[in-house]
Formats: sequence, C-alpha cells, structure tokens
Amino acid sequence: MRSGARIVMEALVREGVDTIFGYPGGVVLPLYDEMLNWPQVKHILVRHEQGAAHMADGYARVTNGVGVCLATSGPGATNLVTGIANAMMDSIPLVAITGNVNSWAIGKDAFQETDIQGITIPITKHNYLVTNVDDLPGVLAEAFYLANTGRKGPVLVDIPKDVFIAKTDAPFPTVVARRGYTIPGAPPKSQIDEVIKLIAESERPVIIAGQGILASGSSDLLKELAEKAHIPVINSLLGLGNFPRTHELSLGMMGMHGEAAATMAVQEADLVMGVGIRFDDRLTGDTKTFAPKAKIVHFDLDPSEVGKTVSPIAWVVGDLKLALESLVPQVEPKRHDAWVSQVKNWQARYPLHVPEGKFLSRTVLRALNEHTQGTAIVATDVGQHQMWTAQFYKIQQPYNWISSGGLGTMGFGFPAAMGAKCARPDDEVWAVVGDGGFQMTLQELQTAVEYGINVKICLLNNGYLGMVRQWQELFYDNRYSHVAMGSPDYGKLADAYGVRFFRCSRTEDLEETLKEAREHKGPVLCEFVVEMEENVYPMVPAGTNNSNVIMDPELPKQTAGANK
Amino acid sequence: MSQHHTITALVQNEAGTINRLVSMFRRRGISLASFNAGDCEQDGYSRLTMVVDGDETLLHQTVRQLEKLIDVVEVEDLSQEHSLSRELALIRVDCEESQRTPVYNLVNEFYAKTPRSTPQSLFVEFAGATPEVERLLTALEPYSIGEIVRTGVVAMGTESNL
Repeated sequence: MRSGARIVMEALVREGVDTIFGYPGGVVLPLYDEMLNWPQVKHILVRHEQGAAHMADGYARVTNGVGVCLATSGPGATNLVTGIANAMMDSIPLVAITGNVNSWAIGKDAFQETDIQGITIPITKHNYLVTNVDDLPGVLAEAFYLANTGRKGPVLVDIPKDVFIAKTDAPFPTVVARRGYTIPGAPPKSQIDEVIKLIAESERPVIIAGQGILASGSSDLLKELAEKAHIPVINSLLGLGNFPRTHELSLGMMGMHGEAAATMAVQEADLVMGVGIRFDDRLTGDTKTFAPKAKIVHFDLDPSEVGKTVSPIAWVVGDLKLALESLVPQVEPKRHDAWVSQVKNWQARYPLHVPEGKFLSRTVLRALNEHTQGTAIVATDVGQHQMWTAQFYKIQQPYNWISSGGLGTMGFGFPAAMGAKCARPDDEVWAVVGDGGFQMTLQELQTAVEYGINVKICLLNNGYLGMVRQWQELFYDNRYSHVAMGSPDYGKLADAYGVRFFRCSRTEDLEETLKEAREHKGPVLCEFVVEMEENVYPMVPAGTNNSNVIMDPELPKQTAGANK
Repeated sequence: MSQHHTITALVQNEAGTINRLVSMFRRRGISLASFNAGDCEQDGYSRLTMVVDGDETLLHQTVRQLEKLIDVVEVEDLSQEHSLSRELALIRVDCEESQRTPVYNLVNEFYAKTPRSTPQSLFVEFAGATPEVERLLTALEPYSIGEIVRTGVVAMGTESNL
C-alpha cells in the first residue's frame, strides 16, 4: 500500500518528468512532504502560481513534451487559470495538479475551497476531480496521455487532501486506452491524392506552416516538401522555427503584423496549403477576402478545425507527420521560378525596416539576432516587442520559439523563458519583454536567482503599453488613455534581487551590452531604453482585407516606390 | 438555413460530464433548444439527446466539438428521417370537475392520460413527437392551463448501422 502523494511522485517519474513548478499550501502538505523522498524530481518554488503554469508551458514548448505545474487549493488553483488558458489556446501539453480540501468538505465552502474543476472546464482538454485514491494511478496516467496525444493541451487533476493521504495497492495501468478517444492516424489516401493533384496543377502555391508541424515533429518533412515542390513557406506566429528563417523559400510570419511579402503572397497565390494552422483571425484578417485567388487546403489532425473559419476545398485530416510522410515521396518535383522570384521581388520592395539614427526596439532586436545568429531560444511577452521579435529574430531551429499566440498573455515571456532554461540548461535563453508585461511577473526574478536559472532578459522599455498606444494613435485619434506607464528603477530592482543589470540607451553601447550579458554566468536584466513612440509595421488592421497592407511610412521611398 | 437539429451522444459518466457538455454549448454560443440526459443500456454511460438551432455549418461544428470532448464516446446526428423522437409533457389544467368533459374529449383524441385529478385541477400526461405535444397544448389553451412541464426530446436512430 502506498499513499496518494506517493502515487503522484511515482507518476511523475514514470512519465520522465525531471522538473515541476509549484507552490505549496495547506492541502498539498502531504504531497510536499512526500516530495522530499524524490530527489530525482526537481521542484522549482515560484513566487506566484501563474509563473508556475507559464514555466511549465515554456518547458513543454522547448522539449515538445509535457510540462507540470502544481498548486494548492483555492487561490493557488485559481492563480494557475491564466496559464492553463494560455496553454489551451496554444495546444500546449500541460498537466496541472491541484490540491483540494478534504473530499468530505467539498461543496461546503471550506477554507480555501474552490471549484477548480468547474472553473477550468472550458480551458482544459480534460480535467478530473479524484475522490478515490484507487482511481489516482489510472487518472494520472490518463492525464499525461491525453495532454500529449492527439491535439495536445492542458489537463488538470484536482486531488483532495485526504486522497493524498489515503493508501491503495491500485497499480498504474500498463496501457492507457479510453473509449471514444482515438489518436488520429494516417489520413485517407484519397485526401493525399487530391493534394498531390492540386500541387501539380498550381502555379503560385504557398505553404502556411504552423505549430502542428512542431507538435508532430515534422519540420524535416516540411523542408523536404517545400524544396521538392518549390513552394514558399510562410509561418504563423506559433509556427516560427519549423522552417529555417534564412532558407531561400522562407517568407517569415504573415498576418496582421506579418511581413508584407508573406501576406501578399497568400493574397496572390492560387494554392494555399495551411499545414498545422487554425486560420486564426490575426492571420486571415477578414476571412471573406482572405486568399481570394486560391484553392485552400487544410491539414489538421483536429476535424473541428476544418471549415471553422475559412472554407477549404480540400483537407487532410489526421496525423500531420503520417500525412507528410505519405505526401512528400509522391509529390512530383517541380519548379515555380517565376512565382518565387515575384515573391522575392516583394520581399526586396517591402523589407522589414529599421530606421537609422534612432535607438529603437527594432535596433535592439536586429542586433540580438545578429549576435546570436538566430540560434538562441527566445521567449517573448505580448505586444509590440512580440511582433518585432517575430519579424527580426530569425529563429533557425524548431522548439526554440516561445510566444503566447492565442491568448496573448502579458507576463508570459519571462517565466516561460525560465521554464525553457530549466528544460534545456545548456542552451542560451532570452526573454524579450516590454515594460508592461515584465511588471506583471517580475517577482520570478527571485526564483531565477535562487535556482540559478540563467535567463537573459531583454527588456524593451518605451514607457508605454506600446501596442495599445499604437492603436490609440491610429484608430482613436491620438487620444492616449492610460497607456503611459511608469517603471521602477530597474537598476535598483536588479540590485535588490541580486541580478546582473545593464542599461543601454544608445546604439553605440548595444554591442558591448549584448556581449557582456551573454558572457555573464547567471540571470541578466538588460534594460534597453528605447524610443517611446515606435509603431509596428507592416499592419493589417483587425478584421480587414489582407490585401491592404499598411506599409511602414518610414520605409525609404526608393524601396516602397518601386511598386508604382 | 436555421432549423432544429437533433443530436444524440453516448457519454461516460464522470464528475462534471454534463457540466462539460453544457459548457461547450455556452462557450461557443450554440443555442440549445433542449437537452436531455439519462441512463442507457450500458453501465457507467449515459445517452443524451440535444436539440440545437442553427444551420448546417453550425451543426457540423457542434458535432465535431462534441466529439472532441473526452467523455463523449460517440455522437449521432439524427436530423435525417430515420429517427424516432418523443417528449413527455405534464399539463395541469385548472378547471372545475363539472367543466372537464371537453378536456377529457381532447385527452381521448390524443391518447393522452390523466394520472391524477384534484377538485381544482386535472393532470394530463402526454408523450409524443414535439408537433403533437404543441398541438395538444394549443387545444388545451381555452381550459385554463396552470402549469406545463416538458422533458424535452429524446430520440434514437431507427436504421441500425449493424
């Protein structure tokens, strides 16, 4: 007989979890006591449970595995909610374990009781309230299985205090199978045949490659397909890294703040293959005017995504890796030289632009990219800097890009970077954050210091909630409402936490700052005091036609004018 | 074109299962005209009948989203002809015993039942397809209906896949 608490630790070890992120409290005391017997599972004590969820999320993204976070009942559990919702929107495999009050006290408004199962129903792939310790091994095995198979996502297991203490002999199941839950397999041959035909017929094809490529481990197959059929590859925000950004067929991110050439290519294409994307509104703009000349093909393992926002004429529903393994050898090699050179022309005409003579966020991110050659793991927060990083940081490898895409969670970037560093301690990890989002979760600096989590923070301080300010400038007649934001003296803050600090406000000091920050063994906070009012371009205003890309007004005339 | 669609689902009984299903409808703004859950031929499982209002696209999306729920074992769209659907209505008609003859006539005409009566009220029980229920209710309107309780639709396919 062993206790529920011991079963939780056994489950973690069985699943190969080496690090968990959590925060103790009354009802999880039995689990925290048991944890002392399991040194092979490292527990990172966070400063707020939201940080634990985001760290587990970052850990999952850079390993393509499951991240685990842990919280006590009531406020501990509710503090996880933002992080769980974030993982749900981005299909990130997370197992969140929460304690709850004793099973007999549930429903009686006991101290620190909350209905976390009810609260998280809409934001989890599945969740459990385990009231019988005999069920616990099966539930935990199933939770990991559900989180990391099919369309991945967060699973929450709520465990009352008495269940941690109760004992059982119930074994872990040798095989997890659940009636009505099937992992999508290979798509039907007829669907693949249709795509082969459409590719053969196309003259102006593009691939929009998303996170599904990463989740299914298909980056190599994507590259093979693109090269064999000579198709430009565009990324969704979360797809970055699935195709090398310096590849000649890479067009970068498309959509609201995507690169102009990428967005234009989709509008002009005759075949748009959405591969592991969900045609989200930031990508499509107005769906009625999206890709007007194209036949749309949708590859997704989740049938509910097909036809949800756009209406494809063909689809491939099933495991993406199996789909591409079947497709790639059968696709006829072909060239689309005229099309690719047209797209290249757009790239040359509408390049991403960094005006010289000012110290801008873009100046910093361009330099960071050059310094690290796009090889670092980069986690962003949410806002202008997120878009600039997506544009200027040329992510070279899969699983090196961490960004809150669906939920757009400010405060995500820094803890997510910490989770990534815990998972891959030998890799260089940068958190790119703004002064707004950083102030939401910066208490985790203490966690970074305590555990020596060597994350480099690139803090782009413009004194504004920049993206909101940009919208107020463009769409609300420059009426700035509550977007100017003060900051503490970050130098003193870093001192107080014992974090190495650099402040840089001139292009001349940029090289030295980045060099020293990278060389320092330990967490570093680099504050870049940048131009206050800088806008993200290109831009397609929300819900409008992607054909009307607003270019950077500062783009030099000889470049932009060439289109006329 | 917006219309009623009947969907059935076989679900595993777990804590929160019904909550999870209803939550999906609410979250995605799918309007539920009726929702019915009960035990079925399999231990540990329930079979649900749901009626949603909307067009074909919405129906398709509803079925796909239901299938995604882990508790849901299978979903069947019964919008096609080969299905049987019924609901039960209890109707309290508040009329004096002396004035009940026309009510009894309607009860007989509809093959309804009158399981209980009190000096103030007659209780009518009727099971039938929804349009039949509607017809009876309309017919009873002149006789002072005090309360109506309806189960909502339960339905099953009549063309077996086996």
